[in-house]
Amino acid sequence: MSPRRNETGGQIDRLKTVRFTFDGVPFTGHVGDTLASALLASGITLMGRSFKYHRPRGILSAGMDEPNALVTILRGTAREPNIPATAIEIYDGLRAESQNRFPSLNWDIGAINQLASKVIGAGFYYKTFMGPVVGPLKGTRFWMFCEHFIRRAAGLGRAGTVADDSRYERMNAFCDVLVVGSGPAGLMAAKAAADSGARVILAELDPRFGGSANWSGETIDGARAADWASEIVNSLKGRNNVRLLPRTAVWGYYDGNTLAALERVSDHKETTARGEPRHRHWTIRAKSVVLATGALERPLVFPGNDRPGVMLASAAQRYTNQFGVLPGEKITLFTNNDTAYQAAASLKKAGANVATIIDVRTDISDQARALAASAGAELIAGHAVSATDGGKTLNGIRVQRLDGASGTLTGEQRSIQTDCLLVSGGWSPVLHLASQAGAKPEWDEKLQAFLPPQPTQDWSGAGAFTGHLATADAIVEGHAAGLAAAGGRARAIEHPAIEPASINAEPAPVFEIKAEGKSFVDFQHDVTADDVRLAHREGFISVEHLKRYTTLGMATDQGKSSNVPGLAIMAEALGKPIPEVGTTRFRPPYTAVSIGSLAAERYGDLKPERLTPMHDWHLAQDATMYSAGLWFRPMIYGHAGETVEQAYVREARAVRETAGIVDVSTLGKIAVQGPDAAELLDRVYTNLFSTLPVGKARYGLMLREDGVAFDDGTTWRLGQDDFLMTTTTANAGKVMQHLEYFLDVIWPELKVTVTSVTDEWAGAAIGGPKAREILTACVKGTAVDNAALPFMGIVHGEIAGVPVMICRLSFSGEMAFEVYCGAGYGTHVWEALIEAGKPFDLVAYGLEALGTLRIEKGHVTGAEIDGRTTARDLHLDWMLSKKKPFIGSAMMDREGLIAADRLQLVGIVALDNRPLNGGAHIVDELDPENPHGSIGHITACCYAPALGKYIALALVQGGKGRHGTRAYVSDPLRKRFGPVEIVSNHFFDPEGSRMHG
Amino acid sequence: MLLTCPYCGPRDVSEFTYQGDGNRQRPAANSQDLQAWNEYVYDRQNPAGDHNEIWQHSGGCRSHIRVVRNTLSHVVSSAIPVRGDTHRRATERRKPGAKA
Amino acid sequence: MVERLSPLEPVYRPGSHGRFEDGVGVILSETRPDSIVQVAAWPGEEARAIAAIRKVTGLALPDGAGGGVVDGEKAAFGFAPGKFTVVDEAEGLAAALAKAIAPAVGTVTELSHGRTAIRIEGPEAEWVLAKFFAIDFALPAFPLGAARSTTHHDVFAQIQRTGGDRFDIYVFRSFARSFWKALGHAAEEVGYEVA
Repeated sequence: MSPRRNETGGQIDRLKTVRFTFDGVPFTGHVGDTLASALLASGITLMGRSFKYHRPRGILSAGMDEPNALVTILRGTAREPNIPATAIEIYDGLRAESQNRFPSLNWDIGAINQLASKVIGAGFYYKTFMGPVVGPLKGTRFWMFCEHFIRRAAGLGRAGTVADDSRYERMNAFCDVLVVGSGPAGLMAAKAAADSGARVILAELDPRFGGSANWSGETIDGARAADWASEIVNSLKGRNNVRLLPRTAVWGYYDGNTLAALERVSDHKETTARGEPRHRHWTIRAKSVVLATGALERPLVFPGNDRPGVMLASAAQRYTNQFGVLPGEKITLFTNNDTAYQAAASLKKAGANVATIIDVRTDISDQARALAASAGAELIAGHAVSATDGGKTLNGIRVQRLDGASGTLTGEQRSIQTDCLLVSGGWSPVLHLASQAGAKPEWDEKLQAFLPPQPTQDWSGAGAFTGHLATADAIVEGHAAGLAAAGGRARAIEHPAIEPASINAEPAPVFEIKAEGKSFVDFQHDVTADDVRLAHREGFISVEHLKRYTTLGMATDQGKSSNVPGLAIMAEALGKPIPEVGTTRFRPPYTAVSIGSLAAERYGDLKPERLTPMHDWHLAQDATMYSAGLWFRPMIYGHAGETVEQAYVREARAVRETAGIVDVSTLGKIAVQGPDAAELLDRVYTNLFSTLPVGKARYGLMLREDGVAFDDGTTWRLGQDDFLMTTTTANAGKVMQHLEYFLDVIWPELKVTVTSVTDEWAGAAIGGPKAREILTACVKGTAVDNAALPFMGIVHGEIAGVPVMICRLSFSGEMAFEVYCGAGYGTHVWEALIEAGKPFDLVAYGLEALGTLRIEKGHVTGAEIDGRTTARDLHLDWMLSKKKPFIGSAMMDREGLIAADRLQLVGIVALDNRPLNGGAHIVDELDPENPHGSIGHITACCYAPALGKYIALALVQGGKGRHGTRAYVSDPLRKRFGPVEIVSNHFFDPEGSRMHG
Repeated sequence: MLLTCPYCGPRDVSEFTYQGDGNRQRPAANSQDLQAWNEYVYDRQNPAGDHNEIWQHSGGCRSHIRVVRNTLSHVVSSAIPVRGDTHRRATERRKPGAKA
Repeated sequence: MVERLSPLEPVYRPGSHGRFEDGVGVILSETRPDSIVQVAAWPGEEARAIAAIRKVTGLALPDGAGGGVVDGEKAAFGFAPGKFTVVDEAEGLAAALAKAIAPAVGTVTELSHGRTAIRIEGPEAEWVLAKFFAIDFALPAFPLGAARSTTHHDVFAQIQRTGGDRFDIYVFRSFARSFWKALGHAAEEVGYEVA
């Protein structure tokens, strides 16, 4: 047993030893210890170096509010920085490292920054590195030079660089009552709500439920508080209307009574079970919330208040009573309120030597005096600590008389030898969630603290959160809050008997002892009282600006320990009362949240993807797959040794010479059904569909309301009231929403159902001079000749025993057919087509060849229908019906949309016979040194086997008028410059003789 | 933020798609009044306070909802189906506890 | 007759998976009904559509949003205003419904290939589903037979409670394999069996 560890007492299991390392040195602790308590028990008080000045730092607190003892946890190859040692449960094999020190925690070269502290005060970065260059050591460029060194020297832990292979999960939960915090108030609230039948979730930050009951040293109705808490927790366990969430930080309170929480499921375990996540992110939707988040003790601001050995009084009480660790050998205490006296008495009872209590007040209550006497401590009233002595550990303090009215120190300095100074500057209720929920905290003069505002959402509070620090009050209030939250009638319960008697928690309004030396307000960011005053002198009067300028209360602190002292100092500098200065609005998260838990399954392998019915066939053919939105499509079916270009050229050439087949299942397909289906299509397409006979398809174009082109595709009339609309793959969802919007909002009188049937049908497009012969060989039940199946005709038949629907339409420009069948039969039909095509040299082709064929034909896709082009720009004005209004018809003829110099679709031929690039500019005159004068850009490009040239489609100003003229491609990023000819976009077979056959 | 779909009940906003200002009036299909079209297509009210909005429950039943939302507080004071009343009656949410 | 190919084929591995040593939390399966059909009624025609569904399938759909009914090989539920999904293990449901529902009442849309039916059953079914969907799966909030339309990322899902701890989930076929893999991943923690 270590010298600091008591033989008995606390919630640790002394029979179970846990081995861990800190900075590579092996230590032991017990089950139930935090890293901080185990290190403290081993006599370690130096745990970190500060952010800016690299000052040695120890432990200030015993919980999530710890600003100093931040460490990095190493796990496998992953490292997680900036975790408070006070919130880490130790386990066998735990490896922790201190931060922001080089070469070691004990010998840190960065501590030299303390000598330069005069020039690196608040606003140092802004003053030195922002703005114009006005000298060699100023401005933004200087920052770029210095950044590397500063980033190394300042800051907290270093993030890992290897991928985190931990599992993270997200969970949705619903409940009647969410209770946040499980101290006496929270436990009573959860119990009362559960007893009345409500669905309850009880979330506790710590591994152990009970909050202060675990370390207050009180008895409740005769039982030890910790046992009282255990009994309630046990009564809640196993109830099917209660979910207990230990190790869970509720960190965000959002609209609609939706709260976010992080459960650390397996951080405390040596190994995780199969499938068990490391963290679980909870989204909790609660009908009602009880906030029982307690209060945090505030430090006092005085010179040297950051020296290792200076600790909050309540933290010492917790280390002693919960972990059986005495924080020092000769303890002194510095306070502005009575609660610290209770801590002193409690420590004494556990065997500590509490030598001296220094109180800023002169008028000390009898109750406090009695507690000081029972602790055996000398009481020095009306005095303050004006300095601390020692190096990396505390060995003494200086005490001086404090004039209460003026706040000045007078008289002789008295030195007191001590290795542990406990401080208490009053209590701040943890209001973060309430503030996030939308309301402004209210200042309470008596408690010298902000109290919860009137709820703006459905929550209530209980216990120290509402400023009721006495356990008896917390129990009564918690019970009432739980009952009310569950919708029950309030039934007050008797105040329980608490020993020792509760004490007045109201502090004297003293936040800072002004004396020579650095007095820290925000320990984590090395913000001193002087920094706050400096900010004021430089004109910062709003607390929100103060926070940003000095970094006060940022990062993991989030104002936990620094908020109120910082505001008080600011208020004094402004000469205003604290409530007029106000407080910053708290924002989520309350504690650090792992990015992994927010990403969870939205990352890596679990990201959703869409596969066509023939996906596995493509893979079996070694197709190179390409992700198009969420879809995966074959890019090429490459042969061994082929480049991508060789593969697509081979595939495209086969389509022109024999036949090719491509998977078109990804095309958006929408069933448009109902008596008004044709009417709807007439309104949304620019051309007429009501005149389309059953059994025929028509190419259609849609515009947006503003007259710009939206999407194109063919729509098939399968029955009088039954159409199958196809859309581009990329726009399927948008077109569906477009139709739904008009049907619901604009034309509710139309009787039309639109249903996404993209996934219902497998689609194969088969095209080329031999395509019809292949179909003839395998289709049963229908002829596919010109008479039975003319261009844009539809027939129904069977392939290999499967019903199919065949439409004769062409994207490739060849005689081509789209064969549709039920998706479950897709591979079966596809394989039958491949088999039937073998004697005809049928080739499967991918997206690259598909693109090549369409570029040769000059067909448009999403690259040209880019949200800026009109039907005229794309030479589709022949599709704009004059017989009827349609979406976009009223707006499409506006001046700017019909101007002659608009970007219009053209074809481009590379005259230097080199590949072109998508996105490259077209210019009139080439100037590689100073590229300028763009007249348009390339939207799609390829090598065209049908022409034996590198070609492209482009949008070029006044494009049509430039046919046959010379221009240049200018692509400075890829260093591609060269002459091109502007031609018609219809490169190949402009009369369409091949597809009409 | 939660929105209460008249059909599906309260759902997270991520299930919905904002479909624009609910005050817009589409001119008659054959109207040549460019000013009116311009107002419909481009003009949006942007009040600090209650705002009439159209939302689609695109991640649920896909119907459109007329929502009155306070742009300062996110408080939704009304959420009704865009489609008419007869529709709504027939698809009213069953009261909790009512027999199936 | 040619057998339909399931989109789950290469990833469907019957047997026990995940942490099943301490008990199987859920059983996952693909139910592969031959008929999945959408019925949409015009406003005011819902009652006639419901009557037609009853005539064809014998299933009595309750009135009200998201109401549904399960009867052995058949199931039906409302998933949107005036819209219903009707499921039958046997083929031919779409044709039968199309005969019973006149154009004046509504439309019938065949989705037997386009939707994949995945069943999750067992004591941890609600827990596993809560990882995906932000809806309340507790029995009082989600009664037997009832259905919900919701989304997990881009994956649309219609979910019907077909038992005390059993849910049938209808997803788009193209997403089915992705969703199945994610479902298995999420179920590892509680141990699962693929039937």
